[in-house]
Amino acid sequence: MSAKADPELSMLCEMAHQFAGGELADTCQENDRFPLAPVFSGVLEKAREVGFFDLTMPEELEGGGMDMVALCLALQTLCRYDASIGGVVFTDALAKEILVASADAAALTDVLSREGDALQSLIAFPSYRDPSEATSLTAVAADGGSYTLIGDIESVVLAGIASTLVLPAAIEGQDGYSFFTIDLSGSGITVSSPVVCLGLRACPAADLSLDGAAARLVGKAGEGAKYFDAAAARMGAAAAAMSLGIMKGSFEEALEYARQRRQGGREIVNWSEVRRILADMAVKTRVADMLVFEAGCAVEEKEKEWEQSSRAASLVVGQMACEMTEDGIQVLGGNGYMEDYGQEKRFRDARQAQTLLGLVPRRKLEYVRRVVDGESEY
Amino acid sequence: MQARGNPALLEREPRFEDITCSLASVPKLPRAVIRETRDVVRDARDFNDRVVKPRALELDSRKREEPDYLPWDFVEEANRRGYYSMCIPKLFGGHGINMPALAYFLEEISSGCSAMSNLIGVHYLGIATLCGSFNLRLMNRLMRDVAEGERTGKPCLISLAITEPGAGTDVEEMDLISRAKVTCHAKRVAGGYLVNGTKIFISNGHLSTWHMVIGYSDLDKPEENTVLMAVKTGDKGFSFGRQEHKMGQKGCPASELIFEDCFVPDENVAIDDEQAKNFKRPIKETNMQLIDYVLSASRAGVGAFGTGVARGAYEEALKFASETEVGGSLLINQEWAQCMLAEMYKNVALARLSYIESNYANGLHGMFKLLQWKPVFYLQKYMPQKMVDAVLAPFCDMKIATTLFRKFYFDMQKTNESQCTSGWASLSKFAATDAGIKNCQMAVEMMGQSGLRHDCRAEKHLRDSKLLQIYEGTNQLNRINLFKNLIGRSVPGAHAFEEGEGTS
Repeated sequence: MSAKADPELSMLCEMAHQFAGGELADTCQENDRFPLAPVFSGVLEKAREVGFFDLTMPEELEGGGMDMVALCLALQTLCRYDASIGGVVFTDALAKEILVASADAAALTDVLSREGDALQSLIAFPSYRDPSEATSLTAVAADGGSYTLIGDIESVVLAGIASTLVLPAAIEGQDGYSFFTIDLSGSGITVSSPVVCLGLRACPAADLSLDGAAARLVGKAGEGAKYFDAAAARMGAAAAAMSLGIMKGSFEEALEYARQRRQGGREIVNWSEVRRILADMAVKTRVADMLVFEAGCAVEEKEKEWEQSSRAASLVVGQMACEMTEDGIQVLGGNGYMEDYGQEKRFRDARQAQTLLGLVPRRKLEYVRRVVDGESEY
Repeated sequence: MQARGNPALLEREPRFEDITCSLASVPKLPRAVIRETRDVVRDARDFNDRVVKPRALELDSRKREEPDYLPWDFVEEANRRGYYSMCIPKLFGGHGINMPALAYFLEEISSGCSAMSNLIGVHYLGIATLCGSFNLRLMNRLMRDVAEGERTGKPCLISLAITEPGAGTDVEEMDLISRAKVTCHAKRVAGGYLVNGTKIFISNGHLSTWHMVIGYSDLDKPEENTVLMAVKTGDKGFSFGRQEHKMGQKGCPASELIFEDCFVPDENVAIDDEQAKNFKRPIKETNMQLIDYVLSASRAGVGAFGTGVARGAYEEALKFASETEVGGSLLINQEWAQCMLAEMYKNVALARLSYIESNYANGLHGMFKLLQWKPVFYLQKYMPQKMVDAVLAPFCDMKIATTLFRKFYFDMQKTNESQCTSGWASLSKFAATDAGIKNCQMAVEMMGQSGLRHDCRAEKHLRDSKLLQIYEGTNQLNRINLFKNLIGRSVPGAHAFEEGEGTS
């Protein structure tokens, strides 16, 4: 993504590079061992100090007041070094985007004004599922307009470390689903041990069992799908930015290795089949870069069909990252498969990141449904 | 049928003999092969249900927590069931099951866990390497050690040590090795060789008793000075280094082997340039022949691994789709999911056909040729083991036996025969392993959030499958090998592994 034209973005980009180079480059493999290694809370604390959290939240609520292009730029730069921190920033931002979409100012103010360290300020959210796929929680109305939640929900990202949850649940007797905020320190909540996942391992997830947990309704009852769609449309560009960052990291390591490694009497970069693979990787990265920047701008400028642009970018770049990181390992051969190098982690992270915002085939079907139903152009 | 008098038409690419391996093989196969294979598949499925699937996730997790853990319990169970000597000919003390049945077996186990499949299958890579030398005396001794290990309950596995820190792809192709930076030096000394160097990424290294080690007596001309030796765990000057920390197939150790003035006596030398100098072909070509014999068998096996992991991923996706509602209806009843499952099924079926055809080629022209000849097959199948040991086995220790086998396998093999086996093996290797990773990606994609979870298995299949595209020659090397054997031979001016410096 090009940040050269905008001094503010340029500064953000530089800051992200310095932060990631200093805090993540040497420790991402160890962080990736979570839960065998501790949560990288020190890094998250510094990320908060630098301002990577709440980047797009309003300044009057002590957010960064920046736009989606800035968030995309920050995410792609961080993910170039370690996509797990991108997963943390993304999940927290997605949850807050839902609160923004609900226009529930009180709920947003409440979560943004919480005191505490970086972990306590994070919001947990089931980022890998569109709640319309299936909603496993039931909300029961209680006295005074409050609710209690019942049921089990899997893979809630940051649930093991954050203090607040934003969860979807179907209100008993009503169609559709709604969102609720829940205080994790409250009663009636059981958090599982961390779920071991394919990638983004330092961005932990846990399963939850809720048995009468007190919850506060976000926005209006039954409007959950509307809020999620609005938030997901904006965050599609951000998901694509994460995939782009992984792609850039993969290409850089592949190119560097190919220049050093000798087989058949010469550096492997000088064999044309290796070059063909590198060329594929380079072209995909360049195309993804353009797509993410355009999608970020489209979101921010509210260009015509911006939602579809953002959704399409996340689908295409997510797929590109999966294909490309496979090649990224291949260029390094056996070494690429080993944890001593970064490629195997990127391969895992790319597939994990692709699933952000829900089941990929279903997202594609939803994309074209909007076209078929005349809600948008193709 | 006007063209009956024009045999040249059948020599045109694709050559008739290359596209009819199965057609030519089936009438020659002993009928008992089917029964044997059926028994093997049945047994593998039982092993899968009782051992592999129940332990696969646990082994993967444990290895992540304890990188130096070695799965001896699994190896002992496989040994107890006779899997390490299952396909060793009765002549050498094994159970004598036909070799192509091993591929079906490996597919079954790999559908549950390809690391566990590797824990058994890679042992046969060591066996194949030993057999590729056709040094019958050494073959008889080492394979009887394996059989003895089964009898005593102390597993005796054989590994292949070929990859070096600076030479991976290079060591599997003679045209590349001549330009490679190999460092495993086998210095000729009185009574044997003195070995110095390091081997890496050696599957089952830490678990094996014997290691088939490839060294070079002249590091500047490795293609003409290759030495294949058997080194035993515990030998002076031989030690294990670290186990690699891999992304997947964690249950199967990838070991570093270190040789420091390790003396290998002549009796443990499988083949070297001295032994190979009287063959019909130049030594470099003989070395390539040996490698082709081994890899043509082992790459079909990797094709079976790829088929298995493709099937494992498909089965997880099918189970998920059958049990999960998305958007209010079962996934299994949504057409897009049905088409994805059909695509995955197709990938498994085509991958399987590729390794089966590759093994038909091996039966016609490769390492299995003699064993599948009906008189030999039935002789070793129905002759009592005591009689085999008393009458046939002593023949293996006679020099003439090795000479005859080498004459048959090295001197009498035609170039187009090795092209057929080598080309098919490479095709199967990269086609089936590409299918493996493709299916794993499709399964993870179809399962969404669940596909990413370790406890749902699909993500493990994905991590495991990636290694298959790398070992036994990267899929890029195998594509070039296919070109070399089945395409480039008929194109004037075409050559493989010799790209000009300026091409790129």
